[in-house]
Amino acid sequence: MNFKHKFVFLFPGLFVLIGILIFPVIFTIRLSFSGWNSYTPEMNFIGITNYIRLFTDDPRFWESFFRLSFLSVTTVILQYVIGFSLALMVWRDIKFKRFFRVMFLIPMMTTPVIMTVIWRTFFHESLGPLNDILGFFGLGPKWLSDPATAKITVIIVEVWQWTPFMFLLLLAGLLSLPKEPFLAAAIDGASAFRKFVYVTFPLMAPISIGAIIIRLIEASKIMDTVFVLTSGGPGTATETSSFYIYIKGLREFQMGYAATLSFTYLVIMIISLTIIAKVLTKLMIKE
Amino acid sequence: MNLIANNLKYKPDHEFHLNDVSFNFKKGNLYTILGRTLSGKTTLLKTIAGLLNPDSGDIQFEEKDFGKIPVWERNVAMVYQQFINYPHLTVYENISFPLKQRKLNEEKIKTDVNEALKTVGLIGFENRKIQELSGGQQQRVALARSLAKKAKILLLDEPLVNLDYKLREQLREEFKKIFSEGFSDETILIYSTTDPQEVMELNGEVIVLDEGKVLQTGPAKEIFENPKNLKVAEISNDPPMNIINGAKNSNKINFENIDIDLPKHFTKLENKNYSFGIRAAEIKLNSNGIEFEVELAEISGSETLLHLKRGNTKIIALIEEVMNFKIHEKVRVGFNPTKFYAFNEDGSLISSPYGVYNG
Amino acid sequence: MYKFYTILKYSFVTLWTMFVVAPFLWALSTSFKDFQSVNSKVTYIPWVDYQPSLEGWKVLIKSPAKGGVDIVEPYFNSIFVTCTASLISICLGTLAAYALSRFTFKAGFVKNNDITFFFISQRIMPPIVLSIPFFIFLSTIGLLDSLIGLVVVYIVLLMPIAVWIMVDFFNRVPKELDETALIDGCNPYQAFYKVVLPNSIPGLIVAGMFCIIFGWIDFFFAFILTFTEVQLLPVKVVALNSSVTPWWSLSASALVSVAPLIIVAFVVERFLSKGNLSGALK
Repeated sequence: MNFKHKFVFLFPGLFVLIGILIFPVIFTIRLSFSGWNSYTPEMNFIGITNYIRLFTDDPRFWESFFRLSFLSVTTVILQYVIGFSLALMVWRDIKFKRFFRVMFLIPMMTTPVIMTVIWRTFFHESLGPLNDILGFFGLGPKWLSDPATAKITVIIVEVWQWTPFMFLLLLAGLLSLPKEPFLAAAIDGASAFRKFVYVTFPLMAPISIGAIIIRLIEASKIMDTVFVLTSGGPGTATETSSFYIYIKGLREFQMGYAATLSFTYLVIMIISLTIIAKVLTKLMIKE
Repeated sequence: MNLIANNLKYKPDHEFHLNDVSFNFKKGNLYTILGRTLSGKTTLLKTIAGLLNPDSGDIQFEEKDFGKIPVWERNVAMVYQQFINYPHLTVYENISFPLKQRKLNEEKIKTDVNEALKTVGLIGFENRKIQELSGGQQQRVALARSLAKKAKILLLDEPLVNLDYKLREQLREEFKKIFSEGFSDETILIYSTTDPQEVMELNGEVIVLDEGKVLQTGPAKEIFENPKNLKVAEISNDPPMNIINGAKNSNKINFENIDIDLPKHFTKLENKNYSFGIRAAEIKLNSNGIEFEVELAEISGSETLLHLKRGNTKIIALIEEVMNFKIHEKVRVGFNPTKFYAFNEDGSLISSPYGVYNG
Repeated sequence: MYKFYTILKYSFVTLWTMFVVAPFLWALSTSFKDFQSVNSKVTYIPWVDYQPSLEGWKVLIKSPAKGGVDIVEPYFNSIFVTCTASLISICLGTLAAYALSRFTFKAGFVKNNDITFFFISQRIMPPIVLSIPFFIFLSTIGLLDSLIGLVVVYIVLLMPIAVWIMVDFFNRVPKELDETALIDGCNPYQAFYKVVLPNSIPGLIVAGMFCIIFGWIDFFFAFILTFTEVQLLPVKVVALNSSVTPWWSLSASALVSVAPLIIVAFVVERFLSKGNLSGALK
């Protein structure tokens, strides 16, 4: 059924969104062709100089992009595996089921930046509890000042913060599964492992993919954690693309170049996320 | 007060859902639309309701162009096959919904709702929630809501198909009663189904639909006695009419190297190849009959449907007992010669037991 | 074998719970410390390892003039911005989602799924990409450092979420329900709010919940687009981090800031167990 009324439904939301977005997007594109920085704070036109610089003379950006991919993919995989395991465990009968479910949801409800502030004190090398306890085992990594462990702290905080999101989506999915396939599996005498591989996992495939895609989109924006925890450091060890753009734009005031970075980053992300989404969906349909 | 459609065409994708459909429905009558799944029945009903707009053709109701009137202003009611009721409302609120929309006063609403409840046999259910009701009860609520509206056109889209067998029979009886008594001479009733038996029982004017085309229209008896062509014969019988390819000689019918006595009503036919039709019920076990091999024996209720094969000919015989047959068993059956149909090579009916239909 | 699995299950679940609770306990403990307890060595349990003090908590009540941390105003600011933006996003987003679910749109090669994708893809943009232009945009129309300005920006963040959830939800409500409402005399608007909406409450609650969560936790936009007039909660707490604020006030402020949403966790769990959520989130 199609009525003229359909436009009245769609357009307010669509127009408001486009209206709010249109200026920033066009502005960013225009800005990317200018050389706006602290010395020349004006909208001049320098053609594609910025873009050439980006693609030939800026390894730091591509390193940050690589770092971002590594961090986001790692955290999403961890979140998926842990989140799914947790969901499976509190899905059926377990003592204190509701208590555990609430516990597992809590981190997602907290403000990431604020929790990261606490984590910063937690990971403190000399005054934080973590190293105090690890000291008993003779360990005492310099969490935030060593490049490798700095990455690990970011991953730990992200996993703490966002696994509940996966957990929620997957548990809701599990709870909505039909009972019949499981009854059939029980009648066929399937072990718990077989039941998971052949019944649970395939049935959860669409939800899993949806959850992974959504989490990937969100994870690619990692900013708050890095900002508070490590400020991209030590050095550039945890500098993600977002953070690098922030430095170029709001610390060094190279607005023109930052706009170039932003726009390029946006295009790359939209293309890659769309491809990933399509690939995963095709994989699922093939199943 | 007629509902007239002219050359409705609707092709949303690669196939015609409606292919040049025309009809003239008069008030006070029951029209049954018979067709298989995906033949266009639901599309036709939705077009009459206004939920779909045809690509070409027009519909007139009461001499006004229906196409210009949006769904909510047309005076129609529709019962779906999926028991559609408003889940968030009680039975009473469900039935009174359209009446409230029309802004009738409370008293009148109460009377109409109670009348409808009485007709479908649900007095006392006013305050129940929809989820508490069984399938049959839900469908009755849907029907009651349509009745209470006292709409000029009542559409029913395979309303019984999702109910179990016993319930279907019961509701069909009730429908017949409601249709004959409970309706004014102002209403046009349109009922779609895939079940030929339902069509015969309801005994209205039948429109046979296939792939969006109207194959035949006429009273139920006419469709039964004289199906216009092979397709209609197939659609309007359950089990489908047996079609045997053979030929007529001067005084015999010949197929699979067997001769049968010529039925009287075939005498005037030319001697050539025909597709002969005969219903499953007209084939009986007969020790003097023609030998066939059993392919399958389906026991259905108190009858047996016997799938038989001989050479290239496959037929189904309806045996009125429950008997055990083995696959590949050989049986002998006889055909009731007076019940044979003859169809031309192009599929059109040329002779039937109920009168020659020469097109 | 079964026993082994059970032990594994309970250990895993307990370990993770400890992981979840760890930062909270640490912050709680730290909030009761003073200079001595923090800087000499790592301390955990009050009265055993150190002498507790209420300094960290008193700071929340003291006015800024006397060295206190004002947390009340940022609280209310956050609530206002989050709720207003969520409300607007849900209203506009639900309407758009209904249109995308029920009707067909075609403008050249752009179809329904593309429009839905357009909405959802707004989430891909990292805040930094939009914040500089928004900075200039808002300062041009004089809405920098204002609550309204933030609400406008948050709508871009939250409407995609509302659309994503509601489109999926509406696709699960049978079209025939709408059709029956139309046949019963409702025009499309009435069909929507009299029939479809009342049956969409679970979806709306889920959408509302996610909008509020994602709105409440935003840091970056508030950081860039506000200064002194308006401060949101996350910004306030992080500001404490960079200045010379001691750990104990930091911990106290942090705990107070995250407490409210924990109530939401209970609400969500309730919903989940009752089964309403499952259908909406699929």
